[in-house]
Amino acid sequence: MVILSIGLILVGVFFLVVAAIGTIRLPDVFSRSHAVSLTDSLGAICVLAGLALYQGFGINMLKILVVLVLLMLLNPVIAHATVRAAYRAGLKPQTEKDQ
Amino acid sequence: MKSSFPRQFIANTLALFCGWLVLSGKYDNFHLVLGFTASCGVAWLNTGFPHSPFQQFPWGRMVLYGPWLFLRIVESSLHLTKLILNPSLPIKPRLITYRSQLQHRGAIVVLGNSVTLTPGTITVEINGNTFLVHAIDEAAADDLTTGRMERKIAWVFQEDTNL
Repeated sequence: MVILSIGLILVGVFFLVVAAIGTIRLPDVFSRSHAVSLTDSLGAICVLAGLALYQGFGINMLKILVVLVLLMLLNPVIAHATVRAAYRAGLKPQTEKDQ
Repeated sequence: MKSSFPRQFIANTLALFCGWLVLSGKYDNFHLVLGFTASCGVAWLNTGFPHSPFQQFPWGRMVLYGPWLFLRIVESSLHLTKLILNPSLPIKPRLITYRSQLQHRGAIVVLGNSVTLTPGTITVEINGNTFLVHAIDEAAADDLTTGRMERKIAWVFQEDTNL
Protein backbone atom coordinates (compact mmCIF):
# COMPACT_ATOMS: atom_id res chain seq x y z
CA MET A 1 0.00 0.00 0.00
CA VAL A 2 2.75 2.43 1.00
CA ILE A 3 4.86 1.58 -2.05
CA LEU A 4 1.84 2.05 -4.33
CA SER A 5 1.06 5.44 -2.80
CA ILE A 6 4.69 6.58 -3.11
CA GLY A 7 4.63 5.51 -6.76
CA LEU A 8 1.43 7.46 -7.40
CA ILE A 9 2.84 10.57 -5.72
CA LEU A 10 6.03 10.34 -7.79
CA VAL A 11 4.00 10.04 -11.02
CA GLY A 12 2.02 13.10 -9.92
CA VAL A 13 5.20 15.04 -9.21
CA PHE A 14 6.48 14.12 -12.69
CA PHE A 15 3.39 15.67 -14.28
CA LEU A 16 3.70 18.75 -12.05
CA VAL A 17 7.29 19.22 -13.26
CA VAL A 18 6.19 18.78 -16.89
CA ALA A 19 3.49 21.40 -16.33
CA ALA A 20 6.08 23.82 -14.92
CA ILE A 21 8.36 23.25 -17.92
CA GLY A 22 5.41 23.76 -20.25
CA THR A 23 4.45 27.02 -18.55
CA ILE A 24 7.92 28.36 -19.34
CA ARG A 25 8.29 26.94 -22.85
CA LEU A 26 4.91 27.74 -24.41
CA PRO A 27 4.59 31.11 -26.15
CA ASP A 28 1.45 32.94 -24.95
CA VAL A 29 -1.09 33.01 -22.14
CA PHE A 30 -3.58 30.80 -23.97
CA SER A 31 -1.22 27.90 -24.60
CA ARG A 32 0.36 28.35 -21.17
CA SER A 33 -3.00 27.82 -19.55
CA HIS A 34 -3.07 24.37 -21.22
CA ALA A 35 0.15 23.49 -19.41
CA VAL A 36 -1.37 24.71 -16.14
CA SER A 37 -4.45 22.56 -16.68
CA LEU A 38 -2.09 19.57 -16.78
CA THR A 39 -1.34 20.31 -13.10
CA ASP A 40 -4.90 20.03 -11.94
CA SER A 41 -5.77 17.04 -14.07
CA LEU A 42 -3.16 14.29 -13.84
CA GLY A 43 -0.82 16.01 -11.38
CA ALA A 44 -3.38 16.67 -8.67
CA ILE A 45 -5.25 13.40 -9.30
CA CYS A 46 -2.12 11.27 -8.87
CA VAL A 47 -0.77 13.14 -5.83
CA LEU A 48 -4.13 13.19 -4.03
CA ALA A 49 -4.87 9.55 -4.91
CA GLY A 50 -1.45 8.64 -3.50
CA LEU A 51 -2.18 10.57 -0.30
CA ALA A 52 -5.60 8.94 0.01
CA LEU A 53 -4.06 5.47 -0.31
CA TYR A 54 -1.40 6.38 2.25
CA GLN A 55 -4.09 7.42 4.74
CA GLY A 56 -5.96 4.16 4.31
CA PHE A 57 -9.74 3.87 4.43
CA GLY A 58 -11.32 6.33 6.81
CA ILE A 59 -12.51 9.86 7.28
CA ASN A 60 -9.28 11.38 5.95
CA MET A 61 -9.59 9.49 2.66
CA LEU A 62 -13.11 10.89 2.24
CA LYS A 63 -11.83 14.40 2.92
CA ILE A 64 -9.12 14.02 0.28
CA LEU A 65 -11.74 12.82 -2.21
CA VAL A 66 -13.83 15.91 -1.42
CA VAL A 67 -10.77 18.08 -2.17
CA LEU A 68 -10.33 16.21 -5.46
CA VAL A 69 -13.94 16.79 -6.51
CA LEU A 70 -13.70 20.48 -5.60
CA LEU A 71 -10.49 20.81 -7.64
CA MET A 72 -12.19 19.22 -10.66
CA LEU A 73 -15.08 21.69 -10.36
CA LEU A 74 -13.19 24.88 -9.53
CA ASN A 75 -9.98 24.70 -11.56
CA PRO A 76 -11.70 24.83 -14.98
CA VAL A 77 -13.68 27.84 -13.76
CA ILE A 78 -10.49 29.66 -12.76
CA ALA A 79 -8.72 28.75 -16.01
CA HIS A 80 -11.75 29.86 -18.02
CA ALA A 81 -11.96 33.16 -16.13
CA THR A 82 -8.26 33.90 -16.72
CA VAL A 83 -8.40 33.09 -20.43
CA ARG A 84 -11.64 34.98 -20.99
CA ALA A 85 -10.21 38.02 -19.23
CA ALA A 86 -7.14 37.86 -21.49
CA TYR A 87 -9.34 37.51 -24.58
CA ARG A 88 -11.62 40.39 -23.61
CA ALA A 89 -8.62 42.59 -22.82
CA GLY A 90 -7.74 42.26 -26.52
CA LEU A 91 -4.94 39.72 -26.35
CA LYS A 92 -4.85 37.74 -29.60
CA PRO A 93 -3.65 34.14 -29.39
CA GLN A 94 -0.72 33.17 -31.56
CA THR A 95 -1.83 30.99 -34.44
CA GLU A 96 -0.02 28.76 -36.89
CA LYS A 97 0.62 31.52 -39.42
CA ASP A 98 2.51 33.71 -36.95
CA GLN A 99 5.12 31.09 -36.22
CA MET B 1 -42.75 24.47 -7.36
CA LYS B 2 -44.59 24.94 -4.06
CA SER B 3 -45.68 21.31 -3.86
CA SER B 4 -42.13 20.00 -4.13
CA PHE B 5 -40.90 22.22 -1.29
CA PRO B 6 -40.84 19.64 1.55
CA ARG B 7 -39.17 16.95 -0.57
CA GLN B 8 -36.53 19.35 -1.75
CA PHE B 9 -36.01 20.69 1.75
CA ILE B 10 -35.37 17.18 3.07
CA ALA B 11 -33.02 16.35 0.20
CA ASN B 12 -31.04 19.56 0.75
CA THR B 13 -30.82 18.95 4.48
CA LEU B 14 -29.55 15.39 3.98
CA ALA B 15 -26.96 16.50 1.40
CA LEU B 16 -25.67 19.26 3.70
CA PHE B 17 -25.62 16.93 6.70
CA CYS B 18 -23.56 14.35 4.74
CA GLY B 19 -21.09 17.13 3.98
CA TRP B 20 -20.97 18.01 7.68
CA LEU B 21 -20.35 14.36 8.65
CA VAL B 22 -17.43 14.06 6.21
CA LEU B 23 -15.81 17.36 7.12
CA SER B 24 -16.25 17.42 10.91
CA GLY B 25 -15.24 13.84 11.74
CA LYS B 26 -16.65 14.14 15.28
CA TYR B 27 -19.57 11.88 16.07
CA ASP B 28 -20.59 12.77 19.63
CA ASN B 29 -24.14 13.97 20.28
CA PHE B 30 -23.26 17.63 20.64
CA HIS B 31 -21.62 17.93 17.21
CA LEU B 32 -24.28 15.83 15.47
CA VAL B 33 -27.13 17.98 16.82
CA LEU B 34 -25.22 21.16 16.01
CA GLY B 35 -24.60 20.00 12.43
CA PHE B 36 -28.18 18.89 11.93
CA THR B 37 -29.54 22.21 13.15
CA ALA B 38 -27.17 24.14 10.90
CA SER B 39 -28.07 21.94 7.89
CA CYS B 40 -31.78 22.49 8.49
CA GLY B 41 -31.28 26.24 8.75
CA VAL B 42 -29.20 26.57 5.61
CA ALA B 43 -31.51 24.25 3.63
CA TRP B 44 -34.56 26.20 4.78
CA LEU B 45 -33.00 29.49 3.67
CA ASN B 46 -31.95 28.11 0.28
CA THR B 47 -34.92 25.95 -0.79
CA GLY B 48 -37.27 27.34 -3.37
CA PHE B 49 -34.87 29.43 -5.40
CA PRO B 50 -36.55 29.70 -8.79
CA HIS B 51 -34.97 28.40 -12.00
CA SER B 52 -31.88 26.81 -10.59
CA PRO B 53 -30.40 24.64 -13.37
CA PHE B 54 -29.46 22.06 -10.77
CA GLN B 55 -33.04 21.25 -9.78
CA GLN B 56 -33.49 18.60 -12.48
CA PHE B 57 -29.83 17.71 -12.64
CA PRO B 58 -29.30 14.06 -13.70
CA TRP B 59 -26.84 13.11 -10.97
CA GLY B 60 -27.09 9.37 -11.66
CA ARG B 61 -26.03 9.48 -15.31
CA MET B 62 -23.52 12.21 -14.43
CA VAL B 63 -21.69 9.66 -12.25
CA LEU B 64 -21.48 7.35 -15.29
CA TYR B 65 -20.11 10.21 -17.40
CA GLY B 66 -17.26 10.73 -14.89
CA PRO B 67 -15.13 7.68 -15.75
CA TRP B 68 -15.38 8.37 -19.51
CA LEU B 69 -14.21 11.95 -18.96
CA PHE B 70 -11.41 10.67 -16.70
CA LEU B 71 -10.09 8.40 -19.47
CA ARG B 72 -10.21 11.26 -21.98
CA ILE B 73 -8.32 13.47 -19.48
CA VAL B 74 -5.58 10.86 -19.01
CA GLU B 75 -5.26 10.36 -22.77
CA SER B 76 -5.00 14.06 -23.60
CA SER B 77 -2.67 14.68 -20.64
CA LEU B 78 -0.23 12.17 -22.09
CA HIS B 79 -0.60 13.80 -25.52
CA LEU B 80 0.15 17.24 -24.05
CA THR B 81 3.10 15.88 -22.04
CA LYS B 82 4.63 14.53 -25.26
CA LEU B 83 4.15 17.91 -26.94
CA ILE B 84 5.80 19.83 -24.09
CA LEU B 85 8.77 17.48 -23.72
CA ASN B 86 9.40 17.40 -27.48
CA PRO B 87 12.46 19.62 -28.12
CA SER B 88 10.97 21.13 -31.28
CA LEU B 89 7.69 22.05 -29.48
CA PRO B 90 5.34 21.02 -32.34
CA ILE B 91 2.27 22.99 -31.26
CA LYS B 92 -0.30 24.45 -33.63
CA PRO B 93 -2.48 26.70 -31.44
CA ARG B 94 -5.82 27.72 -32.91
CA LEU B 95 -9.19 29.20 -31.98
CA ILE B 96 -12.20 27.05 -32.81
CA THR B 97 -15.80 28.23 -32.96
CA TYR B 98 -18.15 25.41 -32.05
CA ARG B 99 -21.93 25.63 -32.23
CA SER B 100 -23.56 23.25 -29.81
CA GLN B 101 -27.13 21.94 -29.99
CA LEU B 102 -27.56 21.40 -26.26
CA GLN B 103 -30.59 23.13 -24.75
CA HIS B 104 -30.32 22.57 -20.98
CA ARG B 105 -28.25 25.29 -19.28
CA GLY B 106 -26.67 22.71 -17.01
CA ALA B 107 -25.60 20.72 -20.09
CA ILE B 108 -23.86 23.76 -21.55
CA VAL B 109 -22.04 24.34 -18.26
CA VAL B 110 -20.96 20.69 -18.16
CA LEU B 111 -19.70 20.84 -21.76
CA GLY B 112 -17.72 24.03 -21.12
CA ASN B 113 -16.28 22.61 -17.92
CA SER B 114 -15.33 19.30 -19.56
CA VAL B 115 -13.60 21.10 -22.43
CA THR B 116 -11.54 23.16 -20.00
CA LEU B 117 -10.82 20.18 -17.75
CA THR B 118 -9.35 18.27 -20.70
CA PRO B 119 -5.74 19.40 -21.12
CA GLY B 120 -5.09 20.89 -24.55
CA THR B 121 -8.46 22.61 -24.95
CA ILE B 122 -9.88 25.54 -23.00
CA THR B 123 -13.19 27.37 -23.25
CA VAL B 124 -12.51 31.04 -23.94
CA GLU B 125 -16.05 32.36 -24.32
CA ILE B 126 -19.59 30.99 -24.31
CA ASN B 127 -22.27 33.01 -26.05
CA GLY B 128 -25.62 31.26 -25.84
CA ASN B 129 -24.84 28.04 -27.69
CA THR B 130 -21.64 29.16 -29.39
CA PHE B 131 -18.38 28.08 -27.82
CA LEU B 132 -15.07 29.76 -28.55
CA VAL B 133 -12.40 27.18 -27.76
CA HIS B 134 -8.63 27.54 -27.78
CA ALA B 135 -6.89 24.30 -28.70
CA ILE B 136 -3.18 23.56 -28.68
CA ASP B 137 -3.33 21.42 -31.81
CA GLU B 138 -5.80 19.63 -34.04
CA ALA B 139 -5.67 16.29 -32.23
CA ALA B 140 -6.45 17.91 -28.86
CA ALA B 141 -9.70 19.32 -30.22
CA ASP B 142 -10.83 16.08 -31.90
CA ASP B 143 -13.29 15.14 -29.15
CA LEU B 144 -15.08 18.45 -29.52
CA THR B 145 -14.99 18.92 -33.29
CA THR B 146 -16.22 15.40 -33.99
CA GLY B 147 -19.04 15.96 -31.49
CA ARG B 148 -18.11 12.96 -29.33
CA MET B 149 -18.13 14.93 -26.11
CA GLU B 150 -21.41 16.67 -26.95
CA ARG B 151 -23.08 13.33 -27.79
CA LYS B 152 -22.05 11.98 -24.38
CA ILE B 153 -23.47 15.02 -22.59
CA ALA B 154 -26.65 14.88 -24.67
CA TRP B 155 -27.03 11.31 -23.44
CA VAL B 156 -26.48 12.40 -19.83
CA PHE B 157 -29.21 15.02 -20.13
CA GLN B 158 -31.39 12.81 -22.39
CA GLU B 159 -31.58 15.42 -25.14
CA ASP B 160 -32.40 14.74 -28.76
CA THR B 161 -29.62 16.00 -30.93
CA ASN B 162 -29.32 14.93 -34.53
CA LEU B 163 -25.55 14.65 -34.36
